[in-house]
Amino acid sequence: MKNEFVLSRTNLPYWLRQLRKKADLIGPSRSLNGDIIFSSIVNIHEMILDCPASIPSPKEFLFPQKEEMYKFSQKGVRNLNDKTKRIIFGVRSCDISAIALLDRFYGGLLEDDFYMSRRRNTCFISITCNNPDPTCFCSGLGTGPVLKTGFDLQLTDLGDRYLVQAGSREGLRMINGFRHLFLLPEKADYDDQYEVLLSSQSIFEKRITLENVRQKILDGKVTDSFWESVACRCFECGGCVYECPLCTCFNVIDWKEKDNKGTRLRLWDTCMFKGFTKMAGNVLPAGKKIMRTRRWYFHKLIHYPEQFGRFGCVGCGRCTITCPGRIDMATIANKLD
Amino acid sequence: MKNKNKKGLYLPVDAKINDVVDLTPDVKLYKLRKPRSFVYSPGQFVMASLWGAGEVPISITSTSEIHQDIELCIRKAGFVTSALHRLKPGDSIGIRGPLGNRFPFEDAYGQDVLFIAGGIGIAPLRSLINLVIEKRKNFGKIALIYGSKTPTEVLFMPETQNWKENGIDLTLTIDVECKEWACSFGLVTEHINRQSISFESGYAFICGPHVMINAAMHDLSLLGMPAEHIITTIEAHMKCGVGKCGHCYSDGRYVCTDGPVFSYAEIREFGIASP
Repeated sequence: MKNEFVLSRTNLPYWLRQLRKKADLIGPSRSLNGDIIFSSIVNIHEMILDCPASIPSPKEFLFPQKEEMYKFSQKGVRNLNDKTKRIIFGVRSCDISAIALLDRFYGGLLEDDFYMSRRRNTCFISITCNNPDPTCFCSGLGTGPVLKTGFDLQLTDLGDRYLVQAGSREGLRMINGFRHLFLLPEKADYDDQYEVLLSSQSIFEKRITLENVRQKILDGKVTDSFWESVACRCFECGGCVYECPLCTCFNVIDWKEKDNKGTRLRLWDTCMFKGFTKMAGNVLPAGKKIMRTRRWYFHKLIHYPEQFGRFGCVGCGRCTITCPGRIDMATIANKLD
Repeated sequence: MKNKNKKGLYLPVDAKINDVVDLTPDVKLYKLRKPRSFVYSPGQFVMASLWGAGEVPISITSTSEIHQDIELCIRKAGFVTSALHRLKPGDSIGIRGPLGNRFPFEDAYGQDVLFIAGGIGIAPLRSLINLVIEKRKNFGKIALIYGSKTPTEVLFMPETQNWKENGIDLTLTIDVECKEWACSFGLVTEHINRQSISFESGYAFICGPHVMINAAMHDLSLLGMPAEHIITTIEAHMKCGVGKCGHCYSDGRYVCTDGPVFSYAEIREFGIASP
């Protein structure tokens, strides 16, 4: 079965309009204040495909900042699993890599049904990054700029046409209804894709592999005083956690209305806050700031590889953009490398 | 551990309250009707849930081999537990579980066992103490040091006398001396070296406030007990109980799914909950 095709640039809007009939089409566009955000696309020409990284990451469509879990009332409890069909277009390779890891975290034996019901109804069409930001470092981690797996469809911009690669059955299904729009690739198309990849690789300003950092931490070469110097620059704003495509912590609260009616919600939470671990009797297992900042780095650099065999960082560079104290992953990795 | 609730990982099952017993002014014992297919072991816990209030992790204090009901010992400490305290027999509590790992009591077969409890820390240990008494001949000497702040805060007082009659060397202690108390005084750690058990080969099961757990584990290890034999169950802030919400995460381990029962060896290696 063929899973590589060529789509002419002029046919892209038509194809997306057809796909939109069956699912909510979400893509990157510029918000009124200038940020790049993923949202439902009304006019396809408003989508920006060579944009900088979106803030926040597209994880919010699988694990939203505020998610309603259950509605409860005197009559009983209703499960609010979101089953909306979504196609998310123009996702970066780093975010696709992050979602592949989130699938393993929320899946498994203890499967998070809220995440998984969204995930099963969402297709991802990724774009090979042809203009990485100055903050990006996915190339050193193998999570971009081009991917081999993880996407449903991957598009590479070849100028007047796109090379389209299908990575799943859902991906092929999006093509199969519209086979008349897609040609089979020729050698020149692959050559052009390779050119795009090379030129993209050359744009990366940061060359970071986290392996050296991990090894240094494991060898005990990173002292407490180093983490103290990191912690004292932390504003505890939680920005790194909220923007990170791989941060998964949440809080659960009950929102009560009249007559014992209400909603159980889950909201993003961050381990940078002092009250995150607070227990009865005001006991704080992570009371000092150094414990919290170090825990974030240890989780991503040491424990993610132990548990999943991959770093808990995909090099998207969002923490570099967000962190006001300049103690983001790239800066710390550069200091320790 | 596998999720057995097909309706979802976070959906609690209603359990009817059969009885509520006031143990002390701020601690109540709830006896809940056991839902079908609820099989648990000492050391495990449930997420007790009340729609409109929230969810809290509560250890199971009953023993499935002995008690018909699921018993939860709940201290009024915050918003959710205060709401739980307003419930009466006939009402329902939502429960999710059983969650977490269990006490590895089979390892202690043929050996002496020392239980150390502080305050409400007796609750998770009670589940194991009753099981150990049930399987009395599998163990050597059994001792319990149970410390409370004041005489009014001692939980399960009649039951402790029952344990004593069943051959447990019981030390009930109160932090500060007072007249109406006929048993021992002082912190639990002051009583550890007075026990007549074999520290080199015996096992210790500890639960209580963080400070007490840390001090007791340290003292036992100085008395020659191997770190793998010193076993504790720790408390942590939790929202999900299934290793997703991240609140109980500590140095690569989740207290809810990897614990709450840990040995001193694990706690030292991973730095779990050592403020």
